[in-house]
Amino acid sequence: MTHTALAGIAAFALAYLLAGPLELPILVYDPAAKLLSVSRTVTGTSMRYFGDLLLASAAGLAAAAAAYRVRPRVPVAVAAAAALSVVAVDVLFYFSRLLEVR
Amino acid sequence: MSDRALLIAHAVLGFAALFAATHHAAYAVLAAAGRPRRRALRRFMWIAPAAILAQAVLGLAIYPGYRIRVRAMDFDQTAPALVRLFEFKEHLAALAIALVIGASLAGGMDRGAGSRWPVAAVSCTGAAFLWAAALIGLYVTASHPL
Repeated sequence: MTHTALAGIAAFALAYLLAGPLELPILVYDPAAKLLSVSRTVTGTSMRYFGDLLLASAAGLAAAAAAYRVRPRVPVAVAAAAALSVVAVDVLFYFSRLLEVR
Repeated sequence: MSDRALLIAHAVLGFAALFAATHHAAYAVLAAAGRPRRRALRRFMWIAPAAILAQAVLGLAIYPGYRIRVRAMDFDQTAPALVRLFEFKEHLAALAIALVIGASLAGGMDRGAGSRWPVAAVSCTGAAFLWAAALIGLYVTASHPL
């Protein structure tokens, strides 16, 4: 079960990180126009957070399902280190964007 | 329900998620240190995911209101640093959802001794992200509530 969870976490973090820079088509909501659409970029008051979460959740669930079926033989500690490394890359990326403003 | 009522409910459920994730992390560390807490880990296997998903749904429900009335009408002109800080909080919260749910399910269902420290590490990371997201959320809300 831990392998399954770790695969899901790693895939979630990877998809969440790559959706923006790779401009993957995702669900975008414009609260001003109350309009839902699929787009690669956002403009004006449009928000991509819902779409990023949906994409990452789908990737995480798919990876978890695959790991549950395959039952990888990688040691749990190695799988955990890999998953947390992807999460750390996400945090460093977003932290660097936070510092860009100053 | 008004956005302000949803914001209060989001905050209450946010603290429920925060404490559930923190409890889970503490029990996971105790289990890894050789003091098994199977019943507690099985209890938090559903409490922590339920709390974090409920607060996330409410957060998503008030996000459009924040985007228009707080960010577009105030922060974009007067406080761009707060915009970035809020976005950082949202990213931490998103990662925390995956970490807390993953650690809760693994901690409750996996009885292997080799999984205990990895589950504790993932659970502690998720709880730390939730604490950071909660504190940033409170700071931004104190600057301009919905």
